[in-house]
Amino acid sequence: MSAAPVLESPSDHALAAAYRAGDEEAAAELVRRHAPALGRFLYTSGAARDEIDDLVQEALFRAFRRLDGWRGEASFRSWLFVIGSNVLRDEYRRRKGRQIVSLEDRDLPDRADPHADLAANETAERLRQGVATLPRLQREVFLLRTQQGAGYTEIASALGTTPGAARVHYHHAVRRLKEMVT
Amino acid sequence: MNACVSLSDRMPEVALGRSDWSPEDAAHLADCAECQAEWRLLVAAAALAESAPTVADPVGLAAALRLRLAQDRAGRTTLRRGWLIGGTAATAAALVLAVASTRPADQAPITTAEADALLPLPELEGLETAQLDTLLNTIDRPVAGTSTLDASTMGEHEGEELEQVFATWEG
Repeated sequence: MSAAPVLESPSDHALAAAYRAGDEEAAAELVRRHAPALGRFLYTSGAARDEIDDLVQEALFRAFRRLDGWRGEASFRSWLFVIGSNVLRDEYRRRKGRQIVSLEDRDLPDRADPHADLAANETAERLRQGVATLPRLQREVFLLRTQQGAGYTEIASALGTTPGAARVHYHHAVRRLKEMVT
Repeated sequence: MNACVSLSDRMPEVALGRSDWSPEDAAHLADCAECQAEWRLLVAAAALAESAPTVADPVGLAAALRLRLAQDRAGRTTLRRGWLIGGTAATAAALVLAVASTRPADQAPITTAEADALLPLPELEGLETAQLDTLLNTIDRPVAGTSTLDASTMGEHEGEELEQVFATWEG
């Protein structure tokens, strides 16, 4: 018996083109693909847990409103992350500079070594707070590198800078975070 | 490119599980404290991303987004229609002024019916305040190709003619 043909998922480019042509299901697929990663990006950028849904929706709304602005030089996800970062910045301004890094309550998992988990949780929280306090470009470059594995050329396209500058921002971010976390 | 830079460039993909260290990379990492510190940071960052909370319901989010985008499109269509009507009304109003300014003094002032014929736009009632403000601002600008009653010519008219012009505005 021959195996059923494996249908390749349409690319983000194809989905974006389909949405522009009026296919709303294409938009839904883009949301399903990228919303979870965008939410994690926003959280590690300093958003509070209970704000993620609203921030993600706002970022996606802005993205689909100006989908013609995505020319494909950077990946759709990288482009979306930059919009998400703008949404977070606007939210910060709306609160007039009040600190937006949320201090999450730590729920100790029920494991054999709660001390190791506590240490890991503390490191993660320090890292998250450190990332949130980075200058914006350093934060975006660092997260695009570490969460998406994006290369410097793609990062430069997404952020409107050069690969060399992106590399410098990354190394600045790493240096600052090493001091904060260790 | 030195070994530290080379290792740093590869750290994200290894930390995300997309690649492995070469024997040379692993040997350098074992001997370099700076690279070890950066590697710990990258591993922690990847773990943070993995465990970070995210949207609870992507399907529900997509549905809510679809509704919001549809409402936005409907709102922008209404606004564009309002601009079109406003622009047309501004042009018609400018024409009324132009006609009024060239009307001989011994003729009767433009009647309300005549004005209505030039301004048959009850849709003005439906315009928002901001749209009406914009309409008023555009009325002050001359329409290209027509003789207009601009501010510099106002002084050439006698008081009675000015009163007639104002009367047409007031309907």
